[in-house]
Parts: sequence; structure tokens; C-alpha cells
Amino acid sequence: MRFQLAALSLRRHASRTLLAVLGVAVSAAMLLDMVMLATGMRQSFASLLGRNGFTIRVSPRGTLPFDTEAMIGQAHQATDAIRRIAGVTAVAPVLGTTIHVLGGRGPATAFALGVDPAVQGDYQLLEGQNPAANALVASDALLRATGARMGDTLDVAVGFDPQLRTFTGRRRVIVAGRARFTYLSADDRAAALPLASVQAMGGAGRSDRVSLFMVRTAPNVDPEATRVAIERVLPRVTALSTAGAIAEAERRLSYFRQLAFILGAVSLIVGFLLVTTIVTVSVNERIGEIAIMRAIGVSRIHVVHQIVIEGVGLSLAGAAAGLLLGVFTARWLNSILRGFPGLPDAIDFFLFQPNSAFRALALLVASGIAAGIYPAWRAASLPISATLREEAVG
Amino acid sequence: MLAPLVMALALTPDALCAQRIDSIPPWRVAVRTVAIDERLAVDAGLRVGDMVVLAAEPGRASGDTVRISAIVRRRADPSEVARSEYRIRMHLGGLQDLIGYGDRVDRYAIATAGGVAADSALRRINALAFGFHAYPSREIAVETSKTFVVVSRFHRAIGMITIVASATFLLCIMLLKVDERRRDVAAMRLMGISRATVVRAVMLESSFVALLGSLFGVGLGFVVSAFVNAHYQGVYRTPLRFAIITPGTVTYSVLLSLVLGIGAGALAARRLSRTPPLTLFGR
Amino acid sequence: MSGQPLLLVRDAHRDYPRSAEAVHAVRGVSLDVAQGEYVAIVGPSGCGKSTLLNLLGAIDRPTTGSVTIGGTAVSALPDNAATRFRLTNIGFVFQRFYLLPVLTAQENIELPMAEAKVPSAERRGRARELLGYVGLAARADHRPAELSGGEQQRVAIARALANRPIVLLADEPTGELDARTGGDVIALFDRLNRDGMTIVVVTHDEKLAGAARRVIHMLDGRVIRDEPLLLRRA
Repeated sequence: MRFQLAALSLRRHASRTLLAVLGVAVSAAMLLDMVMLATGMRQSFASLLGRNGFTIRVSPRGTLPFDTEAMIGQAHQATDAIRRIAGVTAVAPVLGTTIHVLGGRGPATAFALGVDPAVQGDYQLLEGQNPAANALVASDALLRATGARMGDTLDVAVGFDPQLRTFTGRRRVIVAGRARFTYLSADDRAAALPLASVQAMGGAGRSDRVSLFMVRTAPNVDPEATRVAIERVLPRVTALSTAGAIAEAERRLSYFRQLAFILGAVSLIVGFLLVTTIVTVSVNERIGEIAIMRAIGVSRIHVVHQIVIEGVGLSLAGAAAGLLLGVFTARWLNSILRGFPGLPDAIDFFLFQPNSAFRALALLVASGIAAGIYPAWRAASLPISATLREEAVG
Repeated sequence: MLAPLVMALALTPDALCAQRIDSIPPWRVAVRTVAIDERLAVDAGLRVGDMVVLAAEPGRASGDTVRISAIVRRRADPSEVARSEYRIRMHLGGLQDLIGYGDRVDRYAIATAGGVAADSALRRINALAFGFHAYPSREIAVETSKTFVVVSRFHRAIGMITIVASATFLLCIMLLKVDERRRDVAAMRLMGISRATVVRAVMLESSFVALLGSLFGVGLGFVVSAFVNAHYQGVYRTPLRFAIITPGTVTYSVLLSLVLGIGAGALAARRLSRTPPLTLFGR
Repeated sequence: MSGQPLLLVRDAHRDYPRSAEAVHAVRGVSLDVAQGEYVAIVGPSGCGKSTLLNLLGAIDRPTTGSVTIGGTAVSALPDNAATRFRLTNIGFVFQRFYLLPVLTAQENIELPMAEAKVPSAERRGRARELLGYVGLAARADHRPAELSGGEQQRVAIARALANRPIVLLADEPTGELDARTGGDVIALFDRLNRDGMTIVVVTHDEKLAGAARRVIHMLDGRVIRDEPLLLRRA
């Protein structure tokens, strides 16, 4: 009968109950979104980095991959040195540069990667073949910008001399394939060519140089130990494990984690305050009824149960509505943050993870329980006769 | 782009625009000198007068031996906030020699007398130049600000959600407060007090609470923004101000909270005044 | 009506401490109520009769003295035990009915039985039976707002009888009723007593006091006169 009484009490002031549920729902949605934000970036980034099985990135000392235009010289020697380290199963060299695609609709600039197609981890082939010498694979954005199609020949260059207004490092290449570039956004114009081609086109400035190595290790090997070994054999590089890269990304985006924590805490407090207020006012309105229940023999703890059930009911209904609202608002907020320039397509800021989500909402419901306890206990502990007398006079 | 071991902005001495906070008088300089940023000085334990070797690539044993003649504080540039790179300022020729760049630069920054002079200079440069293009600084600012446009949109979205939550909470509380006093209102109505008077009384109270609340909120906003600035200036080691409260922000916030508070009061008062007095008594 | 008294009050005092001086609501009251008696407690406002009723009902505890009901010293019981005792042994009727507005008449009667963990089918049956007893079988599904004052008080009486109490206590049960409906309630109390229920009422209503078999007069917290049945009929 306690559940029935609680439900009837909530229905008694339907508009008030509805508003309270709505308020709790918005708090729950905000809390859920902040939990998704706090964990989403890390999960999403970790998933992106681990996608092709490369556990270590090697870049010029003191820099992060593609953070500057610094390069690693004596790339062949470096490749061999890394391959000789126990536990290393593959080494993928990458050279980043800008290319200009000439002719057709006019020069189009794109980001180009010189890779070893046999061990690359930068793109996923959608159509066609990996690039051989004098061929490239292109992103859809580049193909649209140049009007090129599979099999077309493009005139590309890696440099531009502004004094002479001429393009340098020119070569004619065939569009061998269409690809989705893992670490770039869908709107980025990008191409991948064989490493040797890009180095040759770059002239002396890029001979035997790379921007980055991606390293794959055996499953039972500790990437951290391999990372340390790489830095030992190659003092001129910085090796970053996936965990280290995630930590660095989190450091740079620490603002969002802190915002998520603060807003999440505020949402929890607001939800708690709302339920406390509703329950307190509801109890104050029914002091006389509560005294009667005590007078006819309903125990204090059962009175508290009934009132706490009301608080839990509000919180549960609000949490359920908040779950739906939270998923919807997370999509909206995620679409805003995905507007960051250059953000890889695979990165999401808000990621729904059932365990984290339900833990957060359970916390909100628990706060609903706590919110009801104090006003309920206070009301159930009032002296019965005095309360009845005051209610009679009132 | 310039690509030495550490990022360097090679400027002629007269064009230094960073704040020099510690320096040696020029007549005491004997070798080539550089200015380093505060962050590098702290992290590497460097001081004015120290000798360092600059190299274009890591691991090179030899390079350019220079003396640190100044430690500078960076400007509050939002686009540099999340980057943890160090900066060195040196004479243009020295950097060109160091990295083998020859007689080349990446860009010029041009100062003009004013708006009209800037536009005409822009036109003349673009008419004469070959192989490069001049842009007004504000266009560059727009391009480099795209990240912050996204952050602003995100903040606005969070703000909208917060406003919806606050409005719901406020309406709930106003209804509760009004419900608590329904018997008093019922007694007043039975005595002959008009509906309009009841509504005015409730509206006056809600306006007062909204005004007090908004003033308190503005005060709290100042305190929180001071804390936010202090915190993130420490985290990112930058003089950049992350939260700025402008007169416009204050006006908007106060007006919005007044509208929400008075609106909630109006809704609650309307509900109360429309209920017959005997119903308010529970009969 | 011989044997051990059902209700036993010995030198009960109830004081309320105030800032200036204590209020002595009940001063040294001693009385016995036998099984099956119908007792009315009368006196001017503030004489302590409602306070005495609260002591008898284990709703309140005497400052000194003792109250024993059915052999149990209720004045010495801790709160939980007193609550339990009230639930299963005492039926209380109030001046203002105090039915829960969100429950129907039948559900209001079922409430104390639900608390006593009576199975739902059994309590539904008993509630209907009690509604029939008080003449409101047709109003089982009506909420208090849909019942007249007299009907609400009869539902309150039925609720007080739900767990088969050993004594029925009533505080001004006709206080909010007009003469006709008050008469209905008085008749119901009479019927209950003839059916064996021990009843103690506190009242200003002369008719209700006149229907009782014994009248106790109180003044300033003391019993000043106790008129048993024989004397009154004379």
C-alpha cells in the first residue's frame, strides 16, 4: 500500500510532479552528457590510435607527430634500428608534405602522405589499388576538388617557388585508388603516394627523411618497454606509446574533462536539491496526515519509506526521461564539437557507454533517496499529539 | 615554415613585440644573442647570460653557440594556448644561417598608419607582388579562430541547456512557494481582497527574488571567472584571459534572469488567482 | 463488568515545559475503565481531557505516573512498541476525521490493516464488512471529498475498528457535525458498546455525554467528579 500511497500523492499535484520530473530529467540529461564527454574523448581517441594495431609513434625529438615540420633524417638506418628491437613486428614510415594538383580546374592543394603501402596504417582503401610508383590514392574531397576519377593522370608538385612562380618537384601520377584517411576529416583533401616517390619529389630536402614512424608490436610485448628501447637506440627521436598519446591529448583537452566534471557535479546537486525541495514541501503540506498515520499505528520507518518512495519515483521517472533527452542533446553537442578544424572523422567527443551511463543515473536516483530521507524522518518524528493539535487549530 | 629544433620567430630587434622582462644592456653583448620565452627558461632552468647551443636538427653535436640576453613573456594568443612548444627570438640572419634557408622569409608583418592606409597598402602590394599575397590581419584572425568559434558554439549550447534547466527549476519552486500559501491567499480573497492585488503581491515578490538572485549571480560569476582565469593561466602558462565578463554579458544575464523569474511568478500567480478560494481551503 | 480493569491510570501527570513556567495539562489523574464500559470525559476547554485521551491512546507519554491497557504498561513502552500497540489494540477517532484524501473510503479503512500485514483479500473483505456496519457499503469507492461530514466520520470510525481494537477512543467525534449527523454517530457508538466495545469519548456534546454510561468531569487537569451508571440514571 505504500507504493500506492506514494503514487497517489505524486498524482495529487500533477503539474508540480510533472515539472519536478522535467527538472530532474534535464539534470539527468546534463549529468549523462558530461559522463559521456569525460569518457568519450579518451575512448574515441584510443580506438582511433589502436585501429590498425600500431602501438607506438616515433617522431623527431621533442615534437609530437605532425606537430611541426621537423623530420627524422637517415630514415633507412632508423627503420633498421627499430626493426631489430625485440617484439617489433612492423615499422611503417610516413612522410607528410603538401602537394599541389595542377591543371584541370586549377591548382588544388592537398595534404600528402608518403607511405609504404605494404605496412601503412593511414588510410583504408575504398576502391582500386594501393599506389605503386607514379600513382596515388586520393580522398573523395580531393577527387571532387580536382574533378578527377579513378585511372586519371594528375600533374602534381610538392613545392612552389614564389619568386619564379613555378612548381617544383613535379610528377605525373595516376589515380590508382580512392581511400578514407583514418586520421583526417572527411572534408580534408588528401592523397597517399609511395614514400620513395615523395622523397624523390622533395629533392635533397626530403631525401632519406620521414616525418614519423608507426610501430607495431607483438601482442604479448609491453609497448612501454619497446618505446623505451626505441628512444635508447635512437636518441634523436621521441617515441610515444598509445597510452602516452592519449595522455597528451587529454592534457591538451583537459578543459573539456574539467568542464565535464564541474557541470556533472552541478547537475547532480541541482537534481538533488529539486527532489529535496519537492519532497520537503509535499511533506510540510501533509504533516497532519503523517501525524494521523502515526496515531493509527503506522510506524515511523514505514512513514519514511513511503515518503522516500515518492522521492525515488520522481528521480526514476526523471532519470528515464533524462536518458532519452541526454542521448539527444549529446548528439547535438557532439555535432557542434565535430566542427573543430582538422578533426579526424573517427573522433567523437560524446560516446555512450552503458556502464558509465547507468552508473551516473544510479547516482542520481541514489541522491533522490537521500533527498527524501531527511524531510521524511523529520516529519515522522514530530510529536503526534502536538502536531494534531496544531493541525486542528490551523 | 621554419623547422629548427625549437620554434623560433626571427625578427629584427626593432620589431620585437613581446614583453622583455629580463635583459642585458646592448653594449655588454659580445656574441650572438637570443631571447627565450619564460616557459623555456623555467623548464630548462635557463637564465639571462647563459650560453646555449642551437641546432637545426636533434642530435647534432655542433651548432650555433649563443648567449641568452632576454627572457620574454608571450602575448595572450588563444591559438597558442594548447600547444606546449617553446619559442626563441633571434636575429633573422642568424636563423637563416642556422637552418640553411638563404635569403628567404616566410612572411612579413606590416604596420600601417591606420585603416585607410592599410587598405591602400594591401592593394598596392597585391598589385606589385609576385608569388605571394597580402592579407589584412583580421582575415588571418578569422581563419585561426575557427577552433574558438566551435568552442563558443559549444559554450552557448551548454548555456541554453542550463537556462532550460534553471527555468524549469524556477517554475517548480515558484509553484511550490505559492502552493504553500494558498490558505493565506484564500483567507484574503474571502475577506474581499481582489485577484489583481493577489497577483501583484506575488509578482512583486518574484521580481524581488529575481533581482536579488541575478545580482548574486553576477557577483558569483565574477568570482568564478577570476578563479577560472587563475586556474587555466596556471595550467597553460599563459597570460590569456579565458573568461571575461563584459557589461553586455552582465546586462544580458540580469535581464534574462529577471524575465525568467518574473515569468515564473506570473504563471504561479495566475494559477493561484484563478482557483476559487474555497478550493484553496481544500473544500 | 467485573474483573481486571481494561484501562488503568495511576497518578498520571503531563507537564509541558514553557519558557516562563510549565503547563500542567494533567495533574495526578487516576482512574480505571472496565471492559465494555462506555465513558465520557467532559470539562471546559483547556481542562486536559484531550491530553488525558492521548495518554490513554499511547499517543503521548505521562511525565510521571503510569497507564496500563489490557495488562500492558503502555507508558513504559519505547516508541516503536507503543506504535505497534496502538495499531493492534487501540482505535482512535478524531474530531476532524483525518481521512487520507487520496484514498477511497475502503482504502482508508484498509490502511491500518495493511500496516498490520493483513493479507489483501482479507483486509478488503473486512473493510467492506466495516463499511456495511457503519451503513456506507454503497460509498466504498468514494474519496473523502465526495462524502459528507457525517459519512467521513463514520468511515473514520470504521477505520478505527479495522484491526479489532480492545478499546475505542474518540476525541470530540461530533465536534464538526450538525445535530442530525451527530446523532447518527452517537447511535453508532451506542451500538458498538452494546456489541461489547469499550469506548472512551472526550466531548462537549451533551447528547453524546448523555449517551455514555459513565461521565468523568475534569477541571484544571484533575478529575473532579466521576459519575457511574447507577447514579446518572437516577
